[in-house]
Amino acid sequence: MAFMRKQAVVEATDINTISPEEAEKRITAGVKKYATNEANFAKADANTPYLGHIIGMGIESSNLADITMSIERQFLTKLTTKVPVSDGSAEYKLVAGELGKLRILDGQDALAATPGLSVKMLMDLGHMAKNDAYLDKVVSFAYIMACGDGWKTADALKKMAAKAEKLTGGERADAISNLKTLSAQAKEYDALLSDATKLAAAKQKTYQNDKTACDALTNELNVVLDKIKGQGGADAAAAAKLRTEEAEIRTRLKMSAAKLRVSQEVAEAAGKRRPIEDAKVAEVRKALQEAVAQAEKIA
Amino acid sequence: MALTPEDLKSLRRQRFVSRAVAVPLSLFVAAAARLRFRYGLADIDRIRGEIWKKLDAHDGPVIWAANHLTLIDSFLVYWAIFPMSRVLEDRLIPWSTPEYTNYYKLGGPVKARFIRALLYCCRCIPFLRGGEDAAAEAWRQKAYDKCVWLLREGASVFVYPEAGRSRSGWLEARRPKDFLGKMAIDVPNAKFLCVYLRADDQIATTVRPPEGSVFRVKCDLIDGARPGETNARDVSQRLFDRLAELQNEWWEDCPLPKNCAGNDVVDLKSPLLSENFSEDLSDADPDWLERHLSAKELASLREKTGAEFFRTFWRFFAAKEACHKALARTELVVPNGAFRELEVDLFRRKAVHVSTGLLLEFRFTDDDEDKLHCVAVLRGGFLGDDETPGDAVWEVSEVPPGASPGAYARERALDFIASCNDEIGSSAKLALSEDGGLPTVLWRGKPQDWSLSLSHSGRFVACSFMVS
Repeated sequence: MAFMRKQAVVEATDINTISPEEAEKRITAGVKKYATNEANFAKADANTPYLGHIIGMGIESSNLADITMSIERQFLTKLTTKVPVSDGSAEYKLVAGELGKLRILDGQDALAATPGLSVKMLMDLGHMAKNDAYLDKVVSFAYIMACGDGWKTADALKKMAAKAEKLTGGERADAISNLKTLSAQAKEYDALLSDATKLAAAKQKTYQNDKTACDALTNELNVVLDKIKGQGGADAAAAAKLRTEEAEIRTRLKMSAAKLRVSQEVAEAAGKRRPIEDAKVAEVRKALQEAVAQAEKIA
Repeated sequence: MALTPEDLKSLRRQRFVSRAVAVPLSLFVAAAARLRFRYGLADIDRIRGEIWKKLDAHDGPVIWAANHLTLIDSFLVYWAIFPMSRVLEDRLIPWSTPEYTNYYKLGGPVKARFIRALLYCCRCIPFLRGGEDAAAEAWRQKAYDKCVWLLREGASVFVYPEAGRSRSGWLEARRPKDFLGKMAIDVPNAKFLCVYLRADDQIATTVRPPEGSVFRVKCDLIDGARPGETNARDVSQRLFDRLAELQNEWWEDCPLPKNCAGNDVVDLKSPLLSENFSEDLSDADPDWLERHLSAKELASLREKTGAEFFRTFWRFFAAKEACHKALARTELVVPNGAFRELEVDLFRRKAVHVSTGLLLEFRFTDDDEDKLHCVAVLRGGFLGDDETPGDAVWEVSEVPPGASPGAYARERALDFIASCNDEIGSSAKLALSEDGGLPTVLWRGKPQDWSLSLSHSGRFVACSFMVS
């Protein structure tokens, strides 16, 4: 079957024959056609988010899977042999085998929000050798998200300040009131970014929510297991229905656990700030402070 | 179906036993809630004081009607409403109607017997909600007749008006069930005790609330069937309306947003959309499809032929994106690209968030050759349908040449909101802020719980918000 995408087939390279920097370059080049913010794409580096228009490449969510598949198409790996995660499990993991097509399994790309994080993902999954010197230049997922929210806040405030400046009368009074609120929110976010402990505490809340959801599912599973036990096989149809219910809850638990791992990693990473994250935080804090100063001048 | 003398004898025996153990059982319920689960009740003395004034003034039977989110709601509602000082007021201790399949066959023989004994002492009449056969119908009828008999004897009965746990976490007043109205008509001197009980962190349906939850309660005693009222739907509607009011009062004090809606627009002519499809759009790269759709969704998509295959895929996609945005309002984060965390049923127009089981409703407001536009609602109001306008409003428009889609979507959204409300009048009075990465409208300097959602794709921008 001819898929339109195949018009642009690329020669796949053994990922272990190139440097992380080269892999990053190829990953970035591979998403060029999906990037709607050409200016940001032109100056993209390891830490430019794929999504978002302010500092990101402007890739739309409808092309999210294409980013991962573009990486898969470009590289070859030795991790190609499928083995079950556990005996009798339908899930599998990839272990060393013949050189072949790189596969990124469901959920493995959850943190790959930038080209640098995509390279980190390939290293974490064992497709590439870990390179600490390269990883020192990659901003963590937690800080990509935290800084992204900061850029959005600063942008909203700047736009509002520019709008309020042109207004008069009653409209201006309302706009100034909104501007003051936005300004206070920006200050609050600036304070949050300034303190890694506070930021980690905020991310810990998301982790706790996910943990509560995971615990709730475990309770749900226990109830179904109790029902199966109570049935005792007396009613075959009812027992089959309960077994289906059990399988569904186990699938839900698997997804919930995967999500919990992501939020746990984010919560942990938010508390650890390396020089690269300090630099990114400083940039966004400067933008926030400038926007606040501009807003206060008008208000 | 009339109750037999044996049925009545059995009910009287159960009443006698439960009366005898009412005090220790009430202590057990309160101790388990406080000590085992560390649950708390906010402002409960005032609430009990107000509701008991009304209960004391009514000497007839009472039908307890509450929202339903967890398997232990009956215990929690009883604990919240009934202070220990009133436990001897036998008439008002409610009889319950738990679902037989949920409670009566749990665990091994010892555990099952213990639970059955506990439920017997707690005045439970097992109810069978599933099954359309004659035996299931007869079971339901008998359980109903027992409730009516007890009410006519002046007792109280606890029934969940929604007939099950709410999968969206929202009580929808526009979909009343008739059976409580029928019960009230059969016992004209009965009143409804409406209760809305929930903890702030109870987002979805669970077995029990998270440990340490503090419940806030809203309740009221209202008329059952009014003189001359013979239509069960009318009576039920009044009950649902009051419960919905209590629900709104509850949300007013909640730190989380009440309204959770989202939207998504897809420009079907955008060249990148057809990239993974065959030239005639009747098939697509299986790897790529599997990254977006569950096995069930894929099977449903495979039934489509020709260009309808392409359109159906993007319907799935738009519904998932709209639901993703609605869920984000609840602070539930669906990671970017985790498309399979949401499973969409295009026929029933419902989507499930797989890991929490939350159920969302959606509808396609635009579905033509050029574009698809989907609006999804989790909670906060009614989505609406072809006949009844809902609480979510939306607009889809084309991006002018040269304009940035993101910036234009924001500008249009504020214009649209202003045009929907005479009091606002001009979009200059509004602003957009970012709250946890989600757009929030500011008006008069205050963030509004309108669940604004923005979307853009190719030539189109869209927005939706809720007016409830």
